Amino acid sequence: MSETTREPDARQIATEARDRVRFEEEALALSDQVYRVARHLVGSREEAEDLMQETYARAFRSWRSFQPGTNLRAWLLRILTNLNIDRGRRQQRTPDMQPLEEGDYFLYNKLEAAADGDTDEERVVERLSQNDVVSALSEVPHDFRDVVVLVDIGDFTYADAAQILDIPIGTVMSRLHRGRRILKQTMADQAVEGEVA
Amino acid sequence: MQPYMDRVLTDAERGEAEAHLDECAYCRKRYRFEETLRVFVQQAVAAEPMPVELKRKLSELRTPLQ
Repeated sequence: MSETTREPDARQIATEARDRVRFEEEALALSDQVYRVARHLVGSREEAEDLMQETYARAFRSWRSFQPGTNLRAWLLRILTNLNIDRGRRQQRTPDMQPLEEGDYFLYNKLEAAADGDTDEERVVERLSQNDVVSALSEVPHDFRDVVVLVDIGDFTYADAAQILDIPIGTVMSRLHRGRRILKQTMADQAVEGEVA
Repeated sequence: MQPYMDRVLTDAERGEAEAHLDECAYCRKRYRFEETLRVFVQQAVAAEPMPVELKRKLSELRTPLQ
């Protein structure tokens, strides 16, 4: 019967439509988490919004290239970071890396000094406002910021971050370390500037 | 300290790190500070949720049902 040549196609189409709907739902369910990363990869809310829309439009168009069962969030972030690069983000000169003699202790020591010896950790951190953190993040050079945002905000593993950014895992670690140091240094400067003498 | 906090040390390395933390008050304080800071950064960025308008725009990108 001629029906048998048509039926599998109809079933296939229905299956594909169902898979596509499910894919889009899962992707949209992740949008808050994706936004949290996107927001701090770029400089402003407006850029983040544009980037999110572009990312999801492309994700929905190329949904077939996603392997079900793999990390959808990482897949989306990969699209997003690639789009961010394509958009030709501002080239930032990597600042000269002056050795931080105090190393990672820089922020701690600076805040502690401003606190006049009050070394209760929670109180020290409270001197930083949320705005300090957000603006400090936006000042970290983008190569380092990408890694810090993916790992510290996106909660990705080093391996996932390496895949998303298409860089070696060793580079992830070194950029993460540097990026965190720059972030803390910037926050330290802000925290102390905020102090009334 | 960072690899310890990121949980990427081997068991042997972690053992050494924890043994040191047991003995060294300064490092313990530093560790607690770093942890507190990390949590603070995460909370600071979580405090800015995705705009509702954006969420709506993203849903509109969905493939229309036939």
